Amino acid sequence: MRISSNTSALNAIYNLQKGQTTLNKLTELTTSDQNINRPSDDPTSTSTLLNISDSLNAISQYSTNITKATTFLNVTSNALTGISDTITQAKSLVDSISNGSDSASDRQSAHDQLVALKQQIIDYANTQSGDTYVFGGTSSSTAPFSSTDNSYNGDSTQSKVEITENSYQTVNITGDRLLKGSGSNPSYGSTDILKTLDDLISAVGDSTTASDTTAIQQGAKDLEAGATQVSNAQIDVAARLKRLDTMSTMNTNNKTTLENVVSGIQSVDLTTVGTELSQQQTAYEAALAATAKISSLSLLDYL
Amino acid sequence: MSLNSVLQIGASGLSAYQTAISVTGENISNVNTAGYSRQTAVLETAPQSSSGGLSLGNGVSVVSIQRSYDAVLQKELANAQTDQGYDTTKSTALQEIEPSFNEVSTDGLGTSISNFFNSWQDLTSNPAGTAERQAVLTAAQNLADNFNSVSTTLSNAITSQNTSLVTLTDSINQNLTSIAQLNNQIKVIDQSGGDSNELKDQRDQKIQDLAQQIGITYTENSDGTTDVRYADSGAALVTGSQAGSFSLTTNATTGLYDVNLTAAGDTTAATVSPTTGTLGATLDLRDTVIPGYQSQLDTLATTIATKVNAQQQAGYDLNGTAGIALFSSGTSAATIAVNSAITGTSQIAASSSASSTGDSNNALAMADLANDTTTMSGSTFSDYYTSMVTQVGQDVATSKNNVTQDTAYSNQLSTLRESNSGVSLDEELVNLTKYQKSYQASAKLITTVTDMMDTVLGLIS
Repeated sequence: MRISSNTSALNAIYNLQKGQTTLNKLTELTTSDQNINRPSDDPTSTSTLLNISDSLNAISQYSTNITKATTFLNVTSNALTGISDTITQAKSLVDSISNGSDSASDRQSAHDQLVALKQQIIDYANTQSGDTYVFGGTSSSTAPFSSTDNSYNGDSTQSKVEITENSYQTVNITGDRLLKGSGSNPSYGSTDILKTLDDLISAVGDSTTASDTTAIQQGAKDLEAGATQVSNAQIDVAARLKRLDTMSTMNTNNKTTLENVVSGIQSVDLTTVGTELSQQQTAYEAALAATAKISSLSLLDYL
Repeated sequence: MSLNSVLQIGASGLSAYQTAISVTGENISNVNTAGYSRQTAVLETAPQSSSGGLSLGNGVSVVSIQRSYDAVLQKELANAQTDQGYDTTKSTALQEIEPSFNEVSTDGLGTSISNFFNSWQDLTSNPAGTAERQAVLTAAQNLADNFNSVSTTLSNAITSQNTSLVTLTDSINQNLTSIAQLNNQIKVIDQSGGDSNELKDQRDQKIQDLAQQIGITYTENSDGTTDVRYADSGAALVTGSQAGSFSLTTNATTGLYDVNLTAAGDTTAATVSPTTGTLGATLDLRDTVIPGYQSQLDTLATTIATKVNAQQQAGYDLNGTAGIALFSSGTSAATIAVNSAITGTSQIAASSSASSTGDSNNALAMADLANDTTTMSGSTFSDYYTSMVTQVGQDVATSKNNVTQDTAYSNQLSTLRESNSGVSLDEELVNLTKYQKSYQASAKLITTVTDMMDTVLGLIS
């Protein structure tokens, strides 16, 4: 093949350009530390990366939901413990006076204590998490219970959050299910705890009224059922917390797995790239040197 | 045989080598001229004459100046130019669009879609919360902004392709006119027996330039002219000294340019749809590729808006009234916006019952739209967008690969052309030396004959 003056120049430009492009690509890999910097670098992997990124986004959202639900349920759990303790106190008080032979001052004292304990239960039942009444259903603005009457002012709607795709967890326990013994799915029992306490308060009597032993015994029995009802709610909350915890672990595991896949696709193998870079650099320098040498060769120097 | 005729032989050598050196000089000075083909002075012995029964030569003469030129290679080069023109234009335009879809290194539309539905998830935890409601509104605004921004990039790309047609057709017309003029000059010079090598090189170069812009076929005629035809329809672009021309008219329906071709020697323009070369790529981008992306984007925007609006209208806001559309209706990606009637956070319909404003079931249903696969032919909104990003990436990658291959191929052809027609300075220097020595020798012949004449004259005196 006849080589003209421009043949070598043309080829030198083409090959130097190619070398420069490769160098540039390798430098980009090293400096960005990402294998894929734009969709066209690898369309198939881009698709995988974006799908994973969506999943990770969703997982992070589910984790946020779980954290919020856990906080809410922890507040609920604390309130339930308070209610349960108060009922236990009321039970032992009632047991101590159930034989009906107490003095007027003892009756008055028991009466006052029961009134105070009922108020305490109502206070616990009006617990708030943030601005929300935890036992108020979805009507968050009004307190679910008042000390003036035993009616429930909330609603029986249970709110849900999504904890993983298409899987929901009911978060709140409504006051009617807990203290009024009404509602279903779940139903914790059928005891109206507030009414039971009112019945007990009147059965105990006071300094002027004698105790009604039969009513006290009935009240003690009802209170026992009420304690079971609260305990059922506590078990439910514990089960919910357990589920959230499990889901949280699962989400974390999924997240780790997906992040590993991303890192497998995106992480630049710096050792390999570094080696390639230095190889390419050497090749490029050699090409430059050769080009310079050949271009300077001319018959003119020898004529 | 006289001394005079020997003197003539010397003179013919001087004249021939002077011409040869002049051709060598032309080659040397055009070593870097694009499209130049090296020329060679073809030497031939002058007609013989006989004297005293001997057949004697009459020196040398330059019969022609030959151009090293490979017509087949030149045609292959032209075809390669057409492919390269098409792929380069496409690749450049697509690479300009790609950053708008570069979800890999930046947060774009895809992220804003996820964020929008995530904001509804947050709302489910606290349906009455002002901060959560504000976040939904902000995410909706952000989503609309992102749709608008990507759509603007695409429509700007369409406009810029459309505008580039003006300069492109101007340049094509100039090339066509130049080819026709050169044809005319070459024909005149050839008829008068002149040498039109340089003009032919110029014309070949113009044909190469033209081939990059549109697909052409061409034939060389015996009178030295070249007829150029448009590859797509076979219409004549240049016939002899007549040139056709491309013109643009604005289409009333689309508002974009229609490309019209007036064939050489014709007076009426007909609309054409070029598919090759730079012109073909520009039209393909403007009419098919970019509008394709745009329509996918519009489908996504309208579907999201419709589904979200329907869900919002199925719920109740913080005041217990039925929800109103979140996005303004009848939208495309370019015009999607948050409904101007949404003036406050209380209008977000999180509840599914008019009586219970703290309910979160509608927010939950809204958040679940993110996983809905019924409307986007089996994929979620995010998946649909992801496949769009992948498609753009694939298109860019393919066009980049094509350009690399085209470049390698035309580099190969250019090397072949250079090998055949390119000037080698070393070769020319050798020729220069050779011709110089021959010139010196011819001069020596003349001085020798002059001496001989002096000798003869000396005999006389």
